[in-house]
Amino acid sequence: MSEPAIRIASMNKYYGNFHALKDIDLTVAPGEKVVICGPSGSGKSTLIRCINRLEEHQSGTIAVMGTVLDDNVDHIDEIRRDAGMVFQNFNLFPHMTVLENCTLAPVLARKIDRAEAEATAMKYLERVKIPEQAHKYPGELSGGQQQRVAIARALCMSPKIMLFDEPTSALDPEMISEVLDVMVGLAQEGMTMVCVTHEMGFARQVADRVIFMADGEIIEQGSPAEFFNNPRNERAKAFLSQVLGH
Amino acid sequence: MSFAADFPKDSAFNKAKARYFATPTDAVVSALFAAFAVWILWSLANWALLHAVFGANQRDACMATEGACWSVVSTRWRIVLFGLYPFEEQWRSAIACVVMVVVAALSCVPWFWSARRLPPLWIAGFAIFYVLMRGGWFGLREVTEQNWGGLSLTIFIFAAVSLLGMPLAIVFALLRRSDLPWIARTMALVIDVIRSLPLLSIMFTFAIVMPFVLPDWAIGDKLYRVIVGYALFFACYQAEIIRGGMQALPAGQEEAAKALGLTYWHRIGYIVLPQAFRNALPPTINQFVITFKETSLVTIIGFFDVMASGRAASGNADWNFATIEMYVFVALIFFVFVFTLSRYGAYLERRLGVGRR
Ligand SMILES: Nc1ncnc2c1ncn2[C@@H]1O[C@H](COP(=O)(O)OP(=O)(O)OP(=O)(O)O)[C@@H](O)[C@H]1O
Ligand SMILES: [Mg+2]
Repeated sequence: MSEPAIRIASMNKYYGNFHALKDIDLTVAPGEKVVICGPSGSGKSTLIRCINRLEEHQSGTIAVMGTVLDDNVDHIDEIRRDAGMVFQNFNLFPHMTVLENCTLAPVLARKIDRAEAEATAMKYLERVKIPEQAHKYPGELSGGQQQRVAIARALCMSPKIMLFDEPTSALDPEMISEVLDVMVGLAQEGMTMVCVTHEMGFARQVADRVIFMADGEIIEQGSPAEFFNNPRNERAKAFLSQVLGH
Repeated sequence: MSFAADFPKDSAFNKAKARYFATPTDAVVSALFAAFAVWILWSLANWALLHAVFGANQRDACMATEGACWSVVSTRWRIVLFGLYPFEEQWRSAIACVVMVVVAALSCVPWFWSARRLPPLWIAGFAIFYVLMRGGWFGLREVTEQNWGGLSLTIFIFAAVSLLGMPLAIVFALLRRSDLPWIARTMALVIDVIRSLPLLSIMFTFAIVMPFVLPDWAIGDKLYRVIVGYALFFACYQAEIIRGGMQALPAGQEEAAKALGLTYWHRIGYIVLPQAFRNALPPTINQFVITFKETSLVTIIGFFDVMASGRAASGNADWNFATIEMYVFVALIFFVFVFTLSRYGAYLERRLGVGRR
């Protein structure tokens, strides 16, 4: 069997004395799409941010594409190049144009020459359907457009895995679908995806596996069909009835 | 009554009437102040213009009038601008000053606001300034720092302090927010200590005390010691300004840069500092204004900056009755520099206030 895309084993994370992630075990196969959901404060963001070292874990192992995440800066850089990330509030660089946002990291971190990086950036901007905004500043775009730029920016690094932390929850309702469409397209092309989201329609449509977290633990996981139709855990049931609105 | 009614309601006349002549007491006070202001202006104009002597070398005419003796300025302005710099070489000093003023003006153009353009501009400008002033190269006669003076010395000190202090300020600001607590805390302590000392005492320490403390090879010229001390002082204030600009950045900016695999220096150079400087532009300009003005403190350590040169120019037996005129001239020079800078700061504040983001 091939190396998993992400392998997390008995990983623990503390914020000071607060035990934020408890004994997490999670393996994501190449090409797999995993949706993480759970109540607020359950540790979803913390988990996904540990994968690329935006947060440091205290014990256990995390490996991405075979690279073990430790204090070695080269390993951290390699993992960050392999795993693209999309944030809830976009985090585009406001002092750069859309195109500059998309070419900065390829030119600096991957040492690709500018012309080639710009061609790649235009390709991805077309893919997220906003090539005509390339020379605008982020502040001139709508939320949905900004989030699509953020996805394009991450894709420009040719990542093997994409991490999404609630990519649609800061958006106005009418803009959610334009972002989800892009994500569905990405999934269909076979990208490995780990996605924290409460968009259950999206989860049903693309997820291979749904993971339910509460209080820093993975409480339940299974295929979308299993999870949505037949949640075993009480808290998962309560959570589902809340987000699905019945 | 009917007189005022002839004017539209919001005319300047009616506004003035409402503001300054609403009650009889108001009217009396306003009239008194107006008369006083007119009297001051009139006396000033009389002194500075109507009865003044403008031409060079007119000491006798000066003695005869009760007006201002601008003759002292037109006779001895070279001392104010160039100090003791040799007369035949003063064109070099003049060009050097113009170069630095052009550099300062270009730094105000947004196109230059990048790490790849601003430092080379300043380094090039400063190098030209130094080569022109100091000579010894390209067939230029050597003029050592002891003979520098006047406005050109002031500009030299200001430029050197900025050029040295700004990178230092960035380093201080970065150390101040280091992840290692003992580095961050030590830096905070150093910054706070230096900021709590008067600039004058720092200059004295570097000019007079340092030679006893430092090994011989590190002593250097007194001028450069004062510049280093002043740069350190500048850096501590500017570091706090930059830090303020950094704190205004949302945490997500650095996280996004990390997630893209950018190294620490790339994150600092391309994401954090450009935005921090943009946030901190108005206080930064303010800091430059203060720094320019306070260069005049070096007179106390015995340098002939523009201020001391002004005093020297009117200090000989021929002209010592015209000290005030000389000081007015020096004040005017400071005013031109500082007022331009602060107007520019105000313009930027307005521009950035409505700007993007
Ligand atoms: N920097 C931090 N310092 C201390 N505690 C933190 C920090 N970040 C998160 N926490 C705590 O860790 C727990 C998990 O937070 P996390 O942000 O991962 O939750 P989440 O599942 O993403 O919630 P949400 O749905 O609201 O985004 C919460 O109790 C939170 O208060
Ligand atoms: Mg979260």
